[in-house]
Parts: sequence; structure tokens; C-alpha cells
Amino acid sequence: MSIMEHNGGSVIAMAGKDCVAIASDLRLGAGAMTVAMNFEKIFPVSDRIYLGLTGLATDITTLRDRFRYLVNMFTIKESRTIEPSTFAHLVSSTLYSRRFGPYFTEPVIAGLERTPSGGLKPYIAGADLIGCLNFAEDFIVAGTASDKLFGVAEGLWEPNLGPEDLFETISQTLLNSVDRDAYSGWGAIVYVITPEKVITRTLKGRMD
Amino acid sequence: MNSLVRQFLITDADRETERSSELTNEDRPSDALWGSQAGFGHLVEGHAFNIPAVPDPSAFLRLHTDDHADPNCKIKIQHGTTTLAFRFQGGVIVAVDSRATAGSYIASGTVKKVIEINPYLLGTMAGGAADCQYWETYLGIQCRLHELRNRERISVAAASKYLSNLVYSYKGMGLSMGTMICGWDKTGPTIFYVDSDGSRLKGDLFSVGSGSTFAYGVLDQGYRWDMTDEEAQELGRRSIYAAGHRDAFSGNTCNLYHVKEDGWKFIGNYDITKLHYDGPGAVPGAPGGGYGYDVRTDSRFSTLSEPVAA
Amino acid sequence: MSAFHSTKPGFDFSNANRNAFLEGKGVKMPKATSTGTTIVGCLFKDGIVLGADTRATAGEIVADKNCEKIHYISESIRCCGAGTAADTEFITALISSNIELHALSTGRKPRVVTAMTMLKQRLFQHQGHIGAALVLGGVDATGAHLFTVAPHGSTDKLPYVTMGSGSLAAMAVFESGWRPNLERAEALQLVVAAISAGIFNDLGSGSNVDACVITATETEMLRNYVMPNVRVEKERKYGFRRGTTAWTREKVRDLIVSEEIRPIAVIAGGEEMDTS
Repeated sequence: MSIMEHNGGSVIAMAGKDCVAIASDLRLGAGAMTVAMNFEKIFPVSDRIYLGLTGLATDITTLRDRFRYLVNMFTIKESRTIEPSTFAHLVSSTLYSRRFGPYFTEPVIAGLERTPSGGLKPYIAGADLIGCLNFAEDFIVAGTASDKLFGVAEGLWEPNLGPEDLFETISQTLLNSVDRDAYSGWGAIVYVITPEKVITRTLKGRMD
Repeated sequence: MNSLVRQFLITDADRETERSSELTNEDRPSDALWGSQAGFGHLVEGHAFNIPAVPDPSAFLRLHTDDHADPNCKIKIQHGTTTLAFRFQGGVIVAVDSRATAGSYIASGTVKKVIEINPYLLGTMAGGAADCQYWETYLGIQCRLHELRNRERISVAAASKYLSNLVYSYKGMGLSMGTMICGWDKTGPTIFYVDSDGSRLKGDLFSVGSGSTFAYGVLDQGYRWDMTDEEAQELGRRSIYAAGHRDAFSGNTCNLYHVKEDGWKFIGNYDITKLHYDGPGAVPGAPGGGYGYDVRTDSRFSTLSEPVAA
Repeated sequence: MSAFHSTKPGFDFSNANRNAFLEGKGVKMPKATSTGTTIVGCLFKDGIVLGADTRATAGEIVADKNCEKIHYISESIRCCGAGTAADTEFITALISSNIELHALSTGRKPRVVTAMTMLKQRLFQHQGHIGAALVLGGVDATGAHLFTVAPHGSTDKLPYVTMGSGSLAAMAVFESGWRPNLERAEALQLVVAAISAGIFNDLGSGSNVDACVITATETEMLRNYVMPNVRVEKERKYGFRRGTTAWTREKVRDLIVSEEIRPIAVIAGGEEMDTS
């Protein structure tokens, strides 16, 4: 048994037209046993940035607190809110500082980035457990169902989806992938981030 | 790189097998294989399974098939399952899940884990799917022969002992079975637990597989001898639901069987998620509504509950 | 300071004991993303051409189909990375930073040997644990230079080099096609052929060809110079009808602050508020 599979769980982020979505399952396991079905793995970093963490639950919680501290320090020192690309590099360097004793977690970042002209453009990124960033234009996956998520997302994702269509695509991708993964599932939660609002929906998923 | 090297590498075990097959002058498959014996012809008198011709066959087989001893072994055997059977006033209830996993991948959600040996005997499947299917079908043949020879149906005790002795003769060679032989004979409803280690136990209530602890929890709490048929079926269904819900390697659907004096009857196939949200539907014995904890509490948590009116 | 924020430079080993304990218990350790990679470089008449594929893998999964493996060191020095992806990313960023500081303190344009020495010393210090295999190339006051740097810190100086899992395929192309004093277009063509050999013949390499031409006068980064593996457009779409997904709870957080100004009504028969 791999340490990344001990608690289970998966996260996916997708870019749409002027919006992004990030979703996760809700399982917390201890090996084969499902302990909780309300373990959220996605956390707000700022109004327009959300961070998903998969892997070992203890490290998910620790890193969530660490990033909250680091983002607060950034906001105070710089007197401005952090941008998604800056936050991605903060995540990357935090993980790489533990290159030889890593946290067992793979982060996924989704947000809207301020452009020089003042607009907002979708930004998604992922990293491995030692902080190698992966910038993608389409989608980022992580967790025990990542292989399955890669396959389904590769088939279902298409460019320029609006918030409501993106919601359906990311939800169906996640739901159908975790149904083929023993360690993920037991409900799901989706965040759709648009310039005007953040929509959070709790999905009805398989409970076995 | 390593895998490339391995392609061209012949192991000692391979050489050993090759050498000894030359020595024993391996004969062509017997004609009995294609006879009227349903593919089991090679098991008739004087024939047996080909066993690796090495000095210690069971050590060789353990090395290649037992993934408890070595997780990287060549042959993977399905382990995640929940099966249960219990005896009560109205007969025997047999309930199983339908999930098959390969590592963390859910390979199938529609596996038949109850093997219908004959109209009076059922076997359950846990461990190696092929082992259970093959040997319980073979058991069916032997039970029919017993009927023809003795002009009466075989007892559950005799049938289970036949299987037990059979798997014991292959002990240590990688067979993996945890099965319950259930039926109704002259002595009434009967269950025997038989596994590939050679255990054979008679009892009122068994559950086998990775989800068995969860099933036992519900089963033990609700079990009575004098249950009605409906109550008993509901208990079997509810127990498999509990296992499917909590165990990562069990789930998808529940198959329910009831064995009575006139043989077994298939009661139904129930989706575990449907059981969670909506319950089994208008089925006699079911309380109505979903089994799920959050469904029953309607997302009300103790810390957030409304204050009780004085 | 607090346990949250370490001020010590270098790597943080505070999880190392825990992880060693877990490993000792027989728990499988997860693998980091690595770049299966074909990276190359060759000299030509006026300078250097570097090349790389764009595939990043995690086990048998293609983690990134279009990643960047030609890293910036300075304006006229660039470095291709193979091996553990995070290591190549961070060691080139670190050396780039140190090179910039060095250039600032000396007031001269940095030399390729300086970057090479910094890289090899850092890698040797870590005894191969930083899994970066690099192709370093650039043009400085002493001319055009091309090096390879192996994870343990050994270096080579050659007129044409390849590294990564596709290095054999790429080297075959160089061995048959490279000559001294190639023209710019010829050298670029050769690099594209070498990377293509890696992309098509090595499973660890794939997708597109990135190239970088460095001469004494300018550096040209040719990102996705050739794209031989463009995904065919889907004939039909898989868009789901709205309302396909069943959900139980919705929360909408409005990010736009809106306020409504409502004048306070004068109380009937009352007096005006005393504002004096």
C-alpha cells in the first residue's frame, strides 16, 4: 500500500471561458475502511483562488494551515492580494524546500489571474509532491483516481465552456472517474469561480 | 530498462520447468478433455492438474501466486468482497456484493458472487473468482453423480466435505477460496464455511471477505432465529449495504437469495447507492426510506440542531 | 521564529525522520514527476543551438504534454534539463539567480564556464541526490561553449551533446549529420531531426520540439518550433445537457460589492433632524 493511497481522495481543476472550476470527492479513508464522507480537500486562498490538496490527510491539513499563514504574511507585507501564479510558485517553493523529506501531497490550484489590462483570465496549475509545477490550459488532476481522471477529462473537456457547462463537464468527469476508483468517492463538491461570483455545489454521488 | 532486460532473461524457475517437462516426456492432453465431461475430463481417474515439475511445487506456486507473501507476484487474486449467509426459522439467506477490484481499480460492478451449484445448493465467492467458480461447478457435477449413484440428494455436509477435501489436496499451491456452501437437506437449512486453508465449519451465521466486519456488525445486531422471511431478507440486504458503504473494495450491487425446503430462490438485485438514498423500495420487511445516515438525519448535526422546545 | 517559518537556508529535513519510519514499515514511497526527455545541443558557425522535447511523465502517465525544458540562465546562456523535473527546475532557477548576482557584482557579462562550475559544485555537494542531468550552452566573451552536467557533478565539453532517455536516438542523428561550421539553418534542422528522433523512438519523450538559437548578438527562443503531434480535433462534442448532474446543496458567494442607498423617510408630523 502506497502512502498516497492510505487516506484516498482525488481533485480535478478545469479551465473554461472566463471561469475556472475545481472539484474533489469527500472520502477520508484508513486503508480500505471509509472513515468519513465529509472530508473537504479544497480550500479558499483568496476570493478568486482555490487550492485542492490530495494525498496523506495529515499533510493536507498541515499544508492548508501553512499556506494560510504564508498567504496572510504575503498580504500584510505586500499590501495586496496574492495572484494565482504567485501563489503557485509559493506552493512550489514550499514543497521543494522539503525535497529530501517531502509532504505526501499533490496540490491543484485554480483561480482567476489579473491581466495587465485589468481583466481576469483563467489560471490552473498542479504540482507533484516535491513542487514541480505543471501549467496546463485545459485541466489538472491529482489523487488516487488521477489515472482515471486523466482519461475521462481528455475525452470530455472542450475549450471555451461557460460556467454552467463547465460545471456539468467537471462534475461528470469527477463522478464517473471516482466510480472506478476504490479509494475515492462517497460524495463530491464543486467550485465554479467566475469574475462575479463563486458557485459551490455539493453533488449527489455513489456512496459505495 | 529493467523490463527490457527481463524480456530476454530466462529465470531458473523457467529452466527448471522446461527441463522436467522434457524428463517426464509430457503427454498430449488426454481425449477425456473433450469428452462428455464438460471440460472436467482431465480430473477423472488417473488424470490431474498439471503441477509444476519442480522439486517443491508448493513453494514454487506460493512464490508465483500468493500476493500476501509477495505483493509483486505474477498472478493477482481478487481479494475485496463481502459475502454473508445465515440460517433462521424460514431457511437460509445468502447475500453478496458485486464488486471486483484489481488494485484500486474497480474492474467490474456486476460480478455474480453466488454460484448456483444445483437447485438446492448455493456457494458464495470470496478470494479467487476462478478458483471458486471452477471448483464449485465441479462440485455440482459430483453432487449430480452422487444423486444418480445413491438415488437421493447429497447432504450439505457431504457436499461441503467433498469440496473441503478437494481443496486440501491442493493446499499450499496457491488456491484462494473462502466460500459458504448453503442448502436445505434432510436435516433442514444448513451452512458450511469452507476455505482453501482446509477449514470447514458448520454454523448459523457467517460473513466472508474484506467487508465482513461491517456486515457482521449489522448482522449480529439484527439476528434472531424466529425472524419472518421478509425480516430475514431485509437483514441480509441491510448488512451488505453496510459493507458496501464502508468498505472500499465492496459495493455496487447486492444479490439476495433465499433457500427454502423446495430449493433456492433469487430474491433480487439491489443498487447499493439506491439503498443509501432511497432504500429498497416497496419491498416487504423494509422500513421505507434510505439506509444512509445523512439521509436519515437530513443533514442535521448535533451541534447545529434546533433547541428543543420546553 | 515559529515552527511554521524556518529562516535557515537550504533544505528542510523535518519530515525526513517520519518518512524514513514509514518507509521502514514497508510503505511504498511515491514517485516524483520526471522528464523522460530528449535534450540536445550543438555548435554551429555563429554559436549554439539547444533543443528539447516537451513531455513530462509520472510513471507510465504523461503528466504534462507541453512542458518547458529549456531554462533561462542568463540572456545568452540557456540550460536544458532532464531527470527529476522539480530538481532541473529549481537548480537552474538558483544558478540563474546566482549568475545574475555575479554579473552585477563583477559588472561583466557572465561566462558559460561560470554557470557550469556553479552547477557541478552544487550537484557534487548533494552526491547525486539532486537528480538533474543538464545540457548547458551559451555564448560569452570567450566564444560559444557547450557542456553536459551529470547528476553527480561530472561535466563534458563537446561540440554536440545529447542527454535523457532519448539521448541514443538523438546522438545517432548527430553522429551522422553533424559537421564543423554548420550554417544556422542547417544546425537548427539537425537539432529538430535529433529531437524528433527522440520524440518518435523513445517512449519517455514526446509532443513538440522546443529550440533555442544563441549567437553573440542575440538569443532566439523558439518555443514549440515544430509541433508534429497536434491532437486531431474531435468530430463531435460531448457537452452535457444542463441539469445532468444531481446536486443537493448550492451556495453562491457574490464577489461584487453592491449597496443600495435608501433615503430615510421623514417621520410624519415630526420635525427635521437637528443637524446644527
